[in-house]
Amino acid sequence: MDFLVNWISIVPQFAVPFALATLGLIICEKSGVLNLGAEGFMLMGAMAGVGATILTGGPYFGLLIAAIAAGFLSLIFAFLVIVMRVNQVISGLTMVFLAQGLTTLVSTQMEWTNKSFVGIGGLNFGLLADIPIIGRFIFGHDIIVYSTILIFAATVYIFDQTEIGLRIKAVGENPEAADSAGVSVLYHRFLAVVVGCMLVGLAGGYLSVVVSKIWVDGMSGGRGWITIALVIFARWRFWTAMLGAVLFGCVEALIPRVAAIGLQVPQYFVLMLPYLATLAVMIWASLGKNSSGAPAALGKAFVREERS
Amino acid sequence: MSKRNQALVICGGLGIGLLVSAVTLMFVGISAPDLLNEFIFSIFTSSRSINAVLALAAPLTIVGLSAAIGFKARFWNIGIEGQVIFGAIGATLIATYDVGPEQFRIYLMASMAMLFGMAWMILPLFLSVKLRVNEIISTLLLNYVAFNFLLHLLYGPWKDPETFFPNSKIYEKSERLNNVMGLEINVSVVIALVFVVLMTWLLSLSRFGYILKFVYANSKMAKSIGIKVVLMVSIAALISGALSGLAGFTISAGIDSRLTQGFFIGYGFLGILIGFLARNNPILVVIFALMMAILMVAGQSLQVFYQIPFAMIQLIQAIIVICVAASEFFIQHRINIIK
Repeated sequence: MDFLVNWISIVPQFAVPFALATLGLIICEKSGVLNLGAEGFMLMGAMAGVGATILTGGPYFGLLIAAIAAGFLSLIFAFLVIVMRVNQVISGLTMVFLAQGLTTLVSTQMEWTNKSFVGIGGLNFGLLADIPIIGRFIFGHDIIVYSTILIFAATVYIFDQTEIGLRIKAVGENPEAADSAGVSVLYHRFLAVVVGCMLVGLAGGYLSVVVSKIWVDGMSGGRGWITIALVIFARWRFWTAMLGAVLFGCVEALIPRVAAIGLQVPQYFVLMLPYLATLAVMIWASLGKNSSGAPAALGKAFVREERS
Repeated sequence: MSKRNQALVICGGLGIGLLVSAVTLMFVGISAPDLLNEFIFSIFTSSRSINAVLALAAPLTIVGLSAAIGFKARFWNIGIEGQVIFGAIGATLIATYDVGPEQFRIYLMASMAMLFGMAWMILPLFLSVKLRVNEIISTLLLNYVAFNFLLHLLYGPWKDPETFFPNSKIYEKSERLNNVMGLEINVSVVIALVFVVLMTWLLSLSRFGYILKFVYANSKMAKSIGIKVVLMVSIAALISGALSGLAGFTISAGIDSRLTQGFFIGYGFLGILIGFLARNNPILVVIFALMMAILMVAGQSLQVFYQIPFAMIQLIQAIIVICVAASEFFIQHRINIIK
């Protein structure tokens, strides 16, 4: 019982990076831009967040910078795929490569690597946190955990109820029609890519500033790729993405606890778990309905017909 | 646009990329003469640097070919690193347990590496063909699985019995790729060139390559005229896996002489980027592989003499790819400047 309580009460910490990043990717991909650069934007956010926190001592400011830095980096990506119409798969992979180099370079030069700092702790709910079992499940997390739920709700509202959300969906489903209706494909795709990548950056910042409270080169460790799979698993639906994120939060939170249950599995096989689980989830998703739920124009550059 | 103009545009993109990189390097404090010295003079005037470049270019060429044949079948093999790891594991398996007679062992290692690389491709290929699981994600996820398996071996059964370092015990002389007789060039360079010729033949002259072009252009149409599309894609993917495995062998037997923890790092992305830059042309793969190898060797000396982290080279490689990729815009689209 103790094991279960301990396990589940730390799940939110592990689920938040997946949730925020998956949300960001869905926003980006709703506009028709396939984003394989998630791992890179996450790294960028993680590194920038740590840098800003070390320089100013303010972890919340660090999180803000994490999002902004990833947003800036995504401008290059957006320019490549939207304006220059470079293959979206190649552009995404190049962004990962670029971010790996950039973050390692900057953090080494600034001596931010392996430097610990004061991050963000849990909120104080007073007596509420002392309620048996439930207290630890619901109360005592940091403020970002609760904000994540709000961000999700806001995104769902924007995409379902507002003009801008509908327009982004329109350029992702049928850019030609949207264009002839006077909706700027360029503007809405840029917007979706930058906002989406800022959320991915925030996820990275959460990973380094809140969870590990340290920056190590390449610390996102494949979570960006897992996120891409989660988008497919969620069929581009927001709340299903949240579910997937919680599921992977559970898997990750389990890893340091496998030894505690007394299971004698070699440690490196345990570390394979998240990736194998992702593969399993991809297979599961492929067995379902015929339509994947992907935006119709995903991965295709928009070329406006010449008008004479 | 004529072939000549296309080449000019690409070279223009390359030039801009190199220029941006040079400015970046000057920004971190390397003067222009030093740059010329490190990236050009000291590389081409010392036979040791030339050898180092060639030894790196060989596996880079092979992973570039691996990516290229995948692209040709519209099969995105992002799992090159995983296959490189398994290839080297296969080769090390033969070396560690001294399988087969000594004079044939190196050939056995090479074949085993190709077999293991191919084997690591089977699962994502199956998932892609049968269940339409996106191969970009599945091949990439398997990189992490392969990496953890490598660590398991190196920290467990294959730990060096003498030094207790996490790398396999050093290969014996007969298990290494040595220099070509009388020359100071590693055999891995010859292996890479042989495969460049083979792939050129396969992709542009053979019947297989001809049919693959149909599949690439329009797989639905190809299917309806009776081409076995799934079989074609599978063959291309398996060859891609085998080539990556072979690259793993040339790194472990040609450069490190053992299996190490990080020997594969970077080869996956670089292979894909080289394949992309070369537009799947085997000859161009060699040129871009050489360019990347020169950057890497120069990067090593920048690290030693100027304390510039090696990550700088990765950044430069990415900048170059971005510039060349963006320059393709001017090939695909005609620009009319309206006065």
